[in-house]
Amino acid sequence: MGTVRARAKSVTENFLIYLVLIAALVCILFPLYWVATTAFKFPKDVIRYPPALIPFVQFEPTLENWIYVVFPWFYTTIVYTTHGTEIFSNLLNSVVAATGSSLLATFTGSLAAYGLARFEFKRWKNRDIAFFILSQRFLPPAVIVIPYFIMFKTVGLLDTWAGIMIAHTAISLPFVVWMMREYFLEVPREVEESAMIDGCGVFRTFIEIVLPVAKPGLVASMMLAFIFSWNEYILALFLTYKKALTLPAVIAGLTHSGAPLWWDISVMALVAIVPPILIALAVERYIVRGLTLGAVKG
Amino acid sequence: MKLSRVSYRDPKLLLIAPTVLLLLVLTIFPLIFSLYLAFCKWELSGGKYAVTTPVFIGLENFLKLASDERFFDTLVNTVVFVGGSVTSELIIGLGLALLLSREIRGRKYLRVMFLLPMMMTPVAVGYTWRMLYHPTNGPLNYLLTLAGIMNYPVNWMGDTKIALFSMILIDVWEWTPFMFLVFLAGLQALPIDPYESARMDGASRWQIFRYITLSALSPIIAVAVLLRSVEAFKIFDIIYVTTAGGPGTATEPVTMYVQILALRELSLGYASAVAYALLAMVIFLAVLFIAKMRKERI
Repeated sequence: MGTVRARAKSVTENFLIYLVLIAALVCILFPLYWVATTAFKFPKDVIRYPPALIPFVQFEPTLENWIYVVFPWFYTTIVYTTHGTEIFSNLLNSVVAATGSSLLATFTGSLAAYGLARFEFKRWKNRDIAFFILSQRFLPPAVIVIPYFIMFKTVGLLDTWAGIMIAHTAISLPFVVWMMREYFLEVPREVEESAMIDGCGVFRTFIEIVLPVAKPGLVASMMLAFIFSWNEYILALFLTYKKALTLPAVIAGLTHSGAPLWWDISVMALVAIVPPILIALAVERYIVRGLTLGAVKG
Repeated sequence: MKLSRVSYRDPKLLLIAPTVLLLLVLTIFPLIFSLYLAFCKWELSGGKYAVTTPVFIGLENFLKLASDERFFDTLVNTVVFVGGSVTSELIIGLGLALLLSREIRGRKYLRVMFLLPMMMTPVAVGYTWRMLYHPTNGPLNYLLTLAGIMNYPVNWMGDTKIALFSMILIDVWEWTPFMFLVFLAGLQALPIDPYESARMDGASRWQIFRYITLSALSPIIAVAVLLRSVEAFKIFDIIYVTTAGGPGTATEPVTMYVQILALRELSLGYASAVAYALLAMVIFLAVLFIAKMRKERI
């Protein structure tokens, strides 16, 4: 009797759980669905009311926006001077900034993380150094954009790849140090110690023994640093204006025109969204740990 | 043995030096520089009245700040935004995590789905929601009236009373998954024994939740809430792309006021003073967070 009642209860409970689950997924996915479908709509289907929700039924999908944004030279000169031609160079800027800054942050950050995980610092304690580095993560970029602008202008880094790369490195570095420090603390140190006893220097040990073992963590923190840089906007707004504009900066600029071309901007938004999502899926296991700076093991 | 100890001690400074130097140049120096600017008059606009080099004026900027209504408006907006979004994210995220923490089919895919909003480029998130919120042909008004939840269309971004709420809603969409995933990880790490003994002692479901689950989760909840709050104080991109702070200054956060002062009014000294006021608030939260981390770990 008791078991029957328990089972009946769990059926309604399960039903409820799946109901909530489906509602949550609809809420999460609908905005993505909307931007994805808008990228394949003719203008007339974007601005109509009631909105066209279902492809092939309520609107006929088209590749025209993609051709216009990606291959603007198919169109007349008047049209393609508006914005179309730039997407490749902006995409390249984003890729260079994100790759460069994530490589730099991972390289210097993992060295520091290794130092903090394996050696004892006397004058300033390890945890003081670690928390000093962590505190940088909380700095709102809005606080440092003005000095950055002036510094970068002085040394000629404004609107250059190197400039935006360096600025993004400052954002990812504290994160990389903390994530890798956690990682090194978990890697057993016996192998390294025997290597050192065999006469390997610290740097050789680090490169030949430690890095191969820590590779998954290294890749994950580099990927997350890549995403931070790829998604970053306020620094890009202050530090780039023409040659080094990243994709978010271009999209934000286009949405500020009086009558945004929703269908074209949706194409660009999709181009911006897809890489970080694909990367996130690849390093899914590390994301919770990474975003909480190692405080929660995902 | 002796050799290894020597090599252990010496290069450790080399390991952390690049990171510490980078952070000194890229965050500490800019912070000192902008602190100096906060005590200066430096106005690049105004034609012949422009102040083209920083002139030290003492506390004048901060006195101006104390009577700047727009600053207080943006301050209130920021605090409401942070409080509203972090509280909602905590409640919804915790509820979802508790509900979905048991074994359900396709759990891995579920986690992946929840990653999507927070990995999406924020500028693209804002842009997407701007389409959803569109007063005349946005799908949100259409679907909500269709479902009978609303009787008349709402001007999500144009109505002074609800524009800030609309901004909070976007942040909730983007970051509730973070809370959910963190709490899910926390719940999975909980030991089973206390639950079994509590059930044997006849504890009610509420008691089990209150005295076992919630008290075991509380450190993780504190970390997640503090981390999210610090991040929410950085809010810029989403609002910049959707309402650009409007209507009026109804949704303008402090970060955007800094940007407007710096890039539009070219009043770099005063902008630095406003930025420092923002920093002061964030430092308070960051210190809480770091104290929490120091207590829990290492």
